[in-house]
Amino acid sequence: MNALTESSVREFVDRCVGQIGSTPDKTLPLLQAVQKQYGYLPAEALQRLSEWMGRSPAELWGVATFYDQFRFKPAGRHRIRVCVGTACHVKGAGEVFEAFRRHLQIPQEEDTDSQRLFTLEQVACLGCCMLAPAVQIDDVIYGYLSPEKVPSVLRDFLSQTQETAASARHRTASGGSGEVRICLDTSCRAVGSHRVYQAFEEVIRRDRLGVRLRDVSCHGASYLAPLAEVETGGRVYRYGCVKPSDAEAILHRHFRPQTLTARVGSAVRRFLDTLIEDRIGEPPVRFETTIRDEDLSGYVKPQVPMATDGAGRSGPLDWEDFQKQGGLEALRKCLFEKSPQEVLNEIEQSGLRGRGGGGYPAFRKWQAVRANPEKPKYIICNGDEGDPGAFMDRMLMESYPFRILEGMAIAAWTVGASEGYLYIRDEYPLAVERMKEALRIFSQHGWLGERIGGTDFSLHLEICTGAGAFVCGEETALIASIEGRRPMPRLRPPYPSEKGLWDKPTLIHNAETLSLVPAIVRQGAASMASIGTAGSRGTKVFALAGKVRRGGLVEVPMGVTIRQIVEEIGGGTASGKPFKAVQIGGPSGGCIPASMADIPIDYDSLTQAGAMMGSGGLVVLDESDCMVEIARYFLEFTQRQSCGRCTFCRVGTKRMLEILERICRGEGTASDLGKLESLGHLIQAGSLCGLGSTAPNPVLSTIRYFRNEYEAHLQGRCPAGRCRALIYYAITDRCIGCTRCAQHCPAGAIDMQPYQQHQINRDRCIRCGTCRAVCPADAVRVESGR
Amino acid sequence: MITLVIDNQTVQVPPGTTVLQAARSLGIPIPALCYRQDFEPSSSCMVCVVEVEGFSGLMPSCALMAEEGMRVRTNTPQILAARRAALELLLSDHIGDCEGPCRSGCPAGMDIPRMIRYLAAGEWTKAIEIVKRDLALPAVLGRICPAPCERVCRRARQDQAVSICLLKRFAADRDLQSPTPYRPICRPSSGKKVAVVGAGPCGLSAAYYLARHGHPCVIFEQKDKAGGMLRCRQLQEKLPETILEREIGQIFDLGVSFRPNQKLGRDFYLENLHREFDAVFLALGGGAADEHLASQLRMKDGHIEVDHSTLQTSREGVFAGGGLIGSRRHCVKAVADGKLAALTIHQYLMGGKAAGEPSEFHSRLGALTEEEWRKFVSSADLISRVEPADPEMGFSEEEVVREARRCLHCDCRKKKNCKLRQLSTELKPVVGTYKGQRRQYARADSHWEVVFESGKCIQCGLCVQVLNRNNLSEGLTFRGRGFGMQVSAALDKAPDLAAGEAGRLCVQVCPTGAWALKNR
Repeated sequence: MNALTESSVREFVDRCVGQIGSTPDKTLPLLQAVQKQYGYLPAEALQRLSEWMGRSPAELWGVATFYDQFRFKPAGRHRIRVCVGTACHVKGAGEVFEAFRRHLQIPQEEDTDSQRLFTLEQVACLGCCMLAPAVQIDDVIYGYLSPEKVPSVLRDFLSQTQETAASARHRTASGGSGEVRICLDTSCRAVGSHRVYQAFEEVIRRDRLGVRLRDVSCHGASYLAPLAEVETGGRVYRYGCVKPSDAEAILHRHFRPQTLTARVGSAVRRFLDTLIEDRIGEPPVRFETTIRDEDLSGYVKPQVPMATDGAGRSGPLDWEDFQKQGGLEALRKCLFEKSPQEVLNEIEQSGLRGRGGGGYPAFRKWQAVRANPEKPKYIICNGDEGDPGAFMDRMLMESYPFRILEGMAIAAWTVGASEGYLYIRDEYPLAVERMKEALRIFSQHGWLGERIGGTDFSLHLEICTGAGAFVCGEETALIASIEGRRPMPRLRPPYPSEKGLWDKPTLIHNAETLSLVPAIVRQGAASMASIGTAGSRGTKVFALAGKVRRGGLVEVPMGVTIRQIVEEIGGGTASGKPFKAVQIGGPSGGCIPASMADIPIDYDSLTQAGAMMGSGGLVVLDESDCMVEIARYFLEFTQRQSCGRCTFCRVGTKRMLEILERICRGEGTASDLGKLESLGHLIQAGSLCGLGSTAPNPVLSTIRYFRNEYEAHLQGRCPAGRCRALIYYAITDRCIGCTRCAQHCPAGAIDMQPYQQHQINRDRCIRCGTCRAVCPADAVRVESGR
Repeated sequence: MITLVIDNQTVQVPPGTTVLQAARSLGIPIPALCYRQDFEPSSSCMVCVVEVEGFSGLMPSCALMAEEGMRVRTNTPQILAARRAALELLLSDHIGDCEGPCRSGCPAGMDIPRMIRYLAAGEWTKAIEIVKRDLALPAVLGRICPAPCERVCRRARQDQAVSICLLKRFAADRDLQSPTPYRPICRPSSGKKVAVVGAGPCGLSAAYYLARHGHPCVIFEQKDKAGGMLRCRQLQEKLPETILEREIGQIFDLGVSFRPNQKLGRDFYLENLHREFDAVFLALGGGAADEHLASQLRMKDGHIEVDHSTLQTSREGVFAGGGLIGSRRHCVKAVADGKLAALTIHQYLMGGKAAGEPSEFHSRLGALTEEEWRKFVSSADLISRVEPADPEMGFSEEEVVREARRCLHCDCRKKKNCKLRQLSTELKPVVGTYKGQRRQYARADSHWEVVFESGKCIQCGLCVQVLNRNNLSEGLTFRGRGFGMQVSAALDKAPDLAAGEAGRLCVQVCPTGAWALKNR
């Protein structure tokens, strides 16, 4: 911690201003720099910044307090951020959060422990949904958490010297005999793919295997992560759920050490290892998969890669790979062969619609910006993917940064934009890093900047990182955020194509939409128009998570059914029981029951069913998920993210949430359902922006399809056994008297005698579910009732 | 010019006109709380929503630019439901009384908190002016009123109720003693003739307010002096005759004619009065409803039957109040009847329908937590109730100021020009439709002339905007977002102090009572 003297803070701010600048669009970068330095925003810094920027301290205060990222009192040394995204939520993130709080003894109204070592926060979504529940401590992500794992996670974190996670990038050993590919994106790292990568690197170097080791774009099969792909002799072998200790065995299976000493050494080591670790007979690899393997092929086969073309093969920042896959072809075509009108026609004929949620035809936006005589024009890539349960854009930015930049360049050239921004969520540090690097490489090769390719076309792009506000995904709020104002959405019209950034015409698309553009231009409109349904062309990337056996990122043609995604690609539920519903579209979407799983996935069918494409989160729910609780969860999210501008969203969602909370506590009344519905419809109609007008969807859709569950709650029952106030835990006669549950119970609520059936004290029980998780005899049951 | 259609009427407006402005130019009223001409529309309150063909959902007309060929509807059932719901939602997070409990508890509806503010500031004339708006006989009532206002005074939660009755007596006595007593401005004479029968507190009160409305009247009294039950033996000790005489004198000074020794049914008859006068007010007191009246007017349970909101009897042009229409144990109720009768007779005479007092919307503060309570009482002097050194004489000047400073000022200082209240009166939202968590009560009142109560803020941001337009202050902003968002100064400094020299501007633009002048 730096000593906080007024003059040192002023000096630091002065230095930041010197490096970053002090124009309004530098507001967030400056605040972020200060926060990074001090862990919070000291008053002196705000004062000094306001002097530099010529804005009142009140204005900066208003901006800073809007975002979750900024703190106004010192934080602990390390920051624990428990993901409470949808997938994490349904897998018990709330219990994990409470477990951290209990373990660190942080009082309810505070967020930092008494030694100021850890600050505990919730984060909307880390985008690691298949590893749910996930938690991020500083830069390290841990997956598959549960309350009882909390102490060991903290121990592990403190014992580790911070790993230089990104160190492996760009180091590709030369050599011809074969190639090993490992994905190093955020969610793979969360299960340790960077450690696996280091282990492979170590073995290859030590044994001089002459194998090329590459970090590659995301393969999408998160359920198998970390996944190592070995290519040799024209064949591809895939290994799923690899541990660092597996590296040697996998490598030696395919590649022989080059020198005799290395061969002997490796044989001896293997022998010694088996002696020391006493692991005789244990297979070296936990899963081995090839493309012919039924499991993985079931996952991969129905998919149609467009945005994710090259999944698992190309290096995200490998300039040669990018070009080998047709990169820059489309941009070259634009610059040297086609007219903007021709490209515009291609976009129109392709039927491309915005992938960020609303599904607005891309062509119309492009045309409006192009037709606008005002100058300059701007292009913005919206990478502020905030929906809990969605991580498509994160993966695209991490795996295909060049593709997005090419898409932006094509769009900018077509509409006549000369400047632009990529607005990326702060929770996606790797995406930011890779996009920055990609930007640098792109510019270095002359495809960004002045007079691109010797033409008159110039394009300057900058990256802006968000600061923790979901509403910034709304385009007018995002623009306000870049401009350094409080990011409150405003009424549309006027649309950004008319009055956007700095009131100039602005084309704004999300990352997925832009990443589809190069393929359309390169392969022609028909390549997209021939896929999908009449109203929804092409493919859509979904983040498949929740209670599904095979989850991850999938790209499917529009028009496939929900059932195909859940059962064919996802392999059904993890438990083998039929799924109950899918939550699609996150907080703006809705729950569609299994009985309707045969409707095709396209913009219009989903809207008709009361859900929404949203940005593409798809969370599978089973019998253990309470639909009322799910509705409450989403509303709690949107309510917390409401900007506060319009009455319906600010107060209305709060009132709806309160009613849902009452129902979940078993305190609902008969009139509550009608009130939820009428208020929900008013909020839909009367809210100023998309956040508010879609916020009631999860509630209204669950009332529509699962009314019986609401009614059960009104009678004091939670059929799924999720709502804490309506359930209790009990130990059955299967109990073997091992005392494990009592040892782990954080509330000391289990009275036990060794070797006798234990008992749970219902008054002391906090219903965290730890006993049930640790019981070796499956003797803990959840009962409905109070 | 742009041509658009609003509620089937075609209108032409210049480019850059909002739909709200276009509608208003047609005389179509669209309500708006957060909108203010020449300010950036904040489109936050959402009571100005309209339907526009081609857009799903409702659009805030304050921010929506008129466009060629637009077709707008401003009064569909969905719009009206949304407006009312928006108000209900705003009110579910609104902390404050429109009127203080004392005024609500006063049968005559006297604006007690405002009187007290003037007394605390030593502005005696302004205080009596406020008193006399609602009370014709304050010196009398200051001695005999059982003070229902004090029974509901919120200060009692802290220690004892504010001594309202004695404060009022001070204001009235001071006026009676003054060489230039307060004389209300009376409307010019309407030329209409009104007969008041009975010169008790009810009839006197009616005469006083009729005079103010511009209808000097004739009072018929069966006794030789005015005063009625005020002259009864039980009151003699509390109510010196000189006080009574002087206060009645002030009423007669307004051009009221007094005809003593005239008894209804003996010396004159209702039919004749009805013929000779444009309106008649019967205020004969309890037990006076004799056969004569019963033969002329419909009776109910031994009293004359009236419409209680207008005091209109079964006979057109004949009104009745006081003991004639029901039990009037408290004199102040009879005085209140007189004031109401004067108003409805005025409405009747001016060609309109006698409608009575318009019923205004009333927000209520609700229960405060201990912590909120401490903030709520913080601006008052926390001394115990002041007792006059000489009970005969009432408060001294010094005592009056000390006691007045005990008042908590529960009422809203902008109750008369609060857009939220006006619109709520019009749309009649059902308070309590959306109950739930509300903001904490807070008040920033260190400023020399303005006070900011965040619980009354509707987050329109007009104060933020108005301060940004000049350099008179440090400026304000919104802090945080969503439900917890609030107007704030940098680093959580007090908003009122941050408004500084420009505090008055905030009061001016604030559509509710969140920003108010302290001494209003």
